[in-house]
Amino acid sequence: MHRIKLTDHLILILGVLFLLLPIWVVFASSTHRPETILNQGLQFWIGDYFLETYSAVLFDNTGFTQAVNAVLMLKNSLILGLGFSVGKILISTIAAYAIVYFRFPAGSFFFWIIFSSLLLPLEVRIIPSYEVVSKLGMLNSYTGLILPLIASATATFFFRQFYKSVPEEILEAARIDGAGPFRFFVDILLPLSKTMIAAIFIIMFVVGWNQYLWPILMTTDESYFTVVMGIKQILNDLEGNRIPQYNKALALSFLAMLPPVMVVLIFQRWFVKGLVESEK
Amino acid sequence: MKRQQFDSFTLPYLLIAPQLAIIFIFFVWPAAQAVYQSFMLEDPFGLASQFVGFDNFIEVVSNEHYARSAIFTAIFSGLVAFLSMAIALLLAVKADGILHGQSAYKIMLTWVYAVAPAVAGMMGVFLFDRSIGPLNHLFNATGWPFNPQLDVFDASVTVILVSVWKQISVNFIYFLAGLQSIPRAVREAALIDCRNGFRRFWTVTLPLLAPTGFFVLVINITYAFFETFGVIDTMTRGAPGGGTATLVYKVYQDGFLGADIGGSSAQSVILMILVLGLTIVQFRVIEKRIHY
Amino acid sequence: MKATKTIFAAAAGLAMLGAGAANAATEITFWHAMGGGLGETVNTIAKDFNASQSEYKLTPIYKGGYEETMTAGIAAFRAGEAPNIIQIFDAGSATIINAKGAVYPVASLLNENGVPFHAEDYISGVRNFYADSKGDMIGMPFNSSTPVLYYNKDALAKAGVQPPKTWEEFEEIAPKLKKAGYIALSQSHTPWIFSENFHSRHNIPLANDNNGFDGVATKINYNNEHMRMHFSKAREWQQAGLFGYYGSKWGDNQKPFIDQEVAMWLGSSGSFGGLKKSAKFAFGTTNLPYWNSITKGEEYTTFIGGAALFAFSGKEKAQNEGVAKFFQFLTKPETQFFWHKETGYVPITNAAYKLAQETGYYNDEPDAEVGIQQLNQKAAANNKGYRLGYYVQIREVMTREYDQVFAGTKSVDDAFAAIEDGANKLLARFAKTVQ
Repeated sequence: MHRIKLTDHLILILGVLFLLLPIWVVFASSTHRPETILNQGLQFWIGDYFLETYSAVLFDNTGFTQAVNAVLMLKNSLILGLGFSVGKILISTIAAYAIVYFRFPAGSFFFWIIFSSLLLPLEVRIIPSYEVVSKLGMLNSYTGLILPLIASATATFFFRQFYKSVPEEILEAARIDGAGPFRFFVDILLPLSKTMIAAIFIIMFVVGWNQYLWPILMTTDESYFTVVMGIKQILNDLEGNRIPQYNKALALSFLAMLPPVMVVLIFQRWFVKGLVESEK
Repeated sequence: MKRQQFDSFTLPYLLIAPQLAIIFIFFVWPAAQAVYQSFMLEDPFGLASQFVGFDNFIEVVSNEHYARSAIFTAIFSGLVAFLSMAIALLLAVKADGILHGQSAYKIMLTWVYAVAPAVAGMMGVFLFDRSIGPLNHLFNATGWPFNPQLDVFDASVTVILVSVWKQISVNFIYFLAGLQSIPRAVREAALIDCRNGFRRFWTVTLPLLAPTGFFVLVINITYAFFETFGVIDTMTRGAPGGGTATLVYKVYQDGFLGADIGGSSAQSVILMILVLGLTIVQFRVIEKRIHY
Repeated sequence: MKATKTIFAAAAGLAMLGAGAANAATEITFWHAMGGGLGETVNTIAKDFNASQSEYKLTPIYKGGYEETMTAGIAAFRAGEAPNIIQIFDAGSATIINAKGAVYPVASLLNENGVPFHAEDYISGVRNFYADSKGDMIGMPFNSSTPVLYYNKDALAKAGVQPPKTWEEFEEIAPKLKKAGYIALSQSHTPWIFSENFHSRHNIPLANDNNGFDGVATKINYNNEHMRMHFSKAREWQQAGLFGYYGSKWGDNQKPFIDQEVAMWLGSSGSFGGLKKSAKFAFGTTNLPYWNSITKGEEYTTFIGGAALFAFSGKEKAQNEGVAKFFQFLTKPETQFFWHKETGYVPITNAAYKLAQETGYYNDEPDAEVGIQQLNQKAAANNKGYRLGYYVQIREVMTREYDQVFAGTKSVDDAFAAIEDGANKLLARFAKTVQ
């Protein structure tokens, strides 16, 4: 029995290594000089240039017209992540409330329209989406960056499922107490959904933060660049014909994943609950 | 539908209005545009366009590279889903079985979820680099003339590995939750009836896990279809020989980079139909899970 | 809709719509594809232009690689948000030139805004590529380069050989370089160097209708005996360890040269500036080799590569004037010489070339002159350039097929048949869109 447990741990440890080692190598290498990486390959242990590399990446102008540095890109990513998750929760909690708790003729028709938005990811309708956003004068704005991403109804779908799982007796009891639709939503349903909202918030924050293609198209103004699309600039740079700044590229990759990873780590419990129950 | 509901004439419309507005403006309108354009032939700058019926579709479907890309997408999605699910399931079963340190493993196995596909791809670029990448050196050291720049198989290995790596965490979370929702009584009964752990897994655990498994499969296929865009764009851009371009990447490559809007709209519509099928399956599975 | 926006923005606290600060100077936007060090040089030029006058403020914006920049420009034009100036690369020139009315031809733009335009001011190799069949420039050549051969001097000395003038000479020296421990050659852009410029260097037509200059071309000529011969040879060299093909990416093929695994590398004359910084050995530059057996001793010029600047139409008069002023500033000999020195791209005007000669720059850096000398070599019917629609996708088809040739999974004949078929379909499709 004990030996079996030992192999179990071994398998789990191998799994952990498989997942974490690449990230470690990226971090460790980012603390070396680019020449070291160029001559000896990626590094497995921390070097002496952590502060130098990271302060350069975070604060130095990276050669665009304006002073675009990682701090600005991280800020933009944060706005995108927060705006996306908050916006999505605001819109979807009330939309799902209407669908589940109201009897109205067009209800199921609307539900199907909303549901149909799950069919076509942004990637395959990207040019018309761009045209729409620009017709509305929303290019180079956080609104234009965020709203089209919210158009997918994943969260609405989830809240619908969640509300349907709320026992009917609660509504009955509330009605006996004379609660109207507004009071029921604010005083009863929202408090019940608290954990779920937190969970969805975390998941959506990560999804928003990790957007790649849409920000590349949307933002022609460097002050709106996000850190994940910064990766694209690095790649172009690496393929160009100057000395590759491996250390900085690695550092930016690490910085791009750090905030969502921290969020997931800190709110582990909610996030897992949300994932399992939302089922996207 | 015997559920109790409120009756109000205007309130539900007000509540649903923001969501509907966003969906109409940013989903229905562009999607309708895509369908419309799939029947049109237009110059890249949109200065002139003409109706061409199903020509765009015929051209897409008869193109041998589109067929190749479809085959690659199927193999790629199948492998990514299978491998990431198999590894995650193994880890979940092991994590479920141990008592000490389970939460530590759980934390360490889940947070890769938060890494963006594009960032994962970027890490892949470094790890598989011809001169600085340790994985490249490792493969070469085993006698494998690893050459992802030229060899489609090797390049596929790199994008599949990175895509699998990125997806294990999510699958692990679902599988572990699925395992832990199996009632204690059932587990104990199984433990008594069936002493062989491997057989117990096949005959008791796996069937009970099937609904979760099916759901995870759908999620993984969706992931492999769409979200791996970032991985492919950073790592291979469909090279070598167009051998690692998924259907979604081709939409981007032909329509966006190549400025052929009619052709890429036709590809979008084909994908739309594919995803429609997938979503119907997904919807059914979710409904089933909610009801039991 | 407005309500939604308000609710959303208020709740999220993000009501920040991008708006340019209003000031007196006329704003001009310039989208470009020059990343890294090249981008810094573009920024310097823009700063200098802004400092040289106060009426206009030019803002250069990096939009990613060539393809991304062109795509972003097209999407922006369709949305009515086009920048004033966009940098479009050689392969995309037909797309933008054929878009009637989208572009304000540079020759007219300059003439109508008080900056006289003379085609003869530009060096001959640069003059025609972005011009119409009458010779009026539609795009302003910007970063112009041409493929050249770089060689590692130590490696060649070790093997006791001279850099090859022709491919016949290459076949003689390559085994010696191999014996000295090097792979003799790599090249960074199979469509550009081994295909398009192969046709220019040997004066072979590349497509019908005068290579697309006289009409919308519909027939590609890549599937010809010379191309099949050249690629069969290249494949043989590769198998014999004389030629390294490291995939389709530029940097992947350049790196082995920098790492001194490969003795000679075919790259861009614009790679010169970067190579000087990254190569830790003495290297030389010479002309792109040609097959003596094809040209019978003649040496024809190559095409320019790189990109040109196009002005979008439908802009305010004041902005167009600013664009004209910027182009005037850009083509000044001093600006061109600075650009040439910093980047290695060729100077586009005769005056700038003369200035570079007079300052003695080429005495110190003889290699920097190779590109422009090659562009001044003998011109004939097929050296003006090519203008082919959907050429970005045609290059994609070529890359796809060449990858397979050098991976050994497709024969040269099959690959060229596939290129011909794929390219002609795309050309026919493009012809339909513009007629």
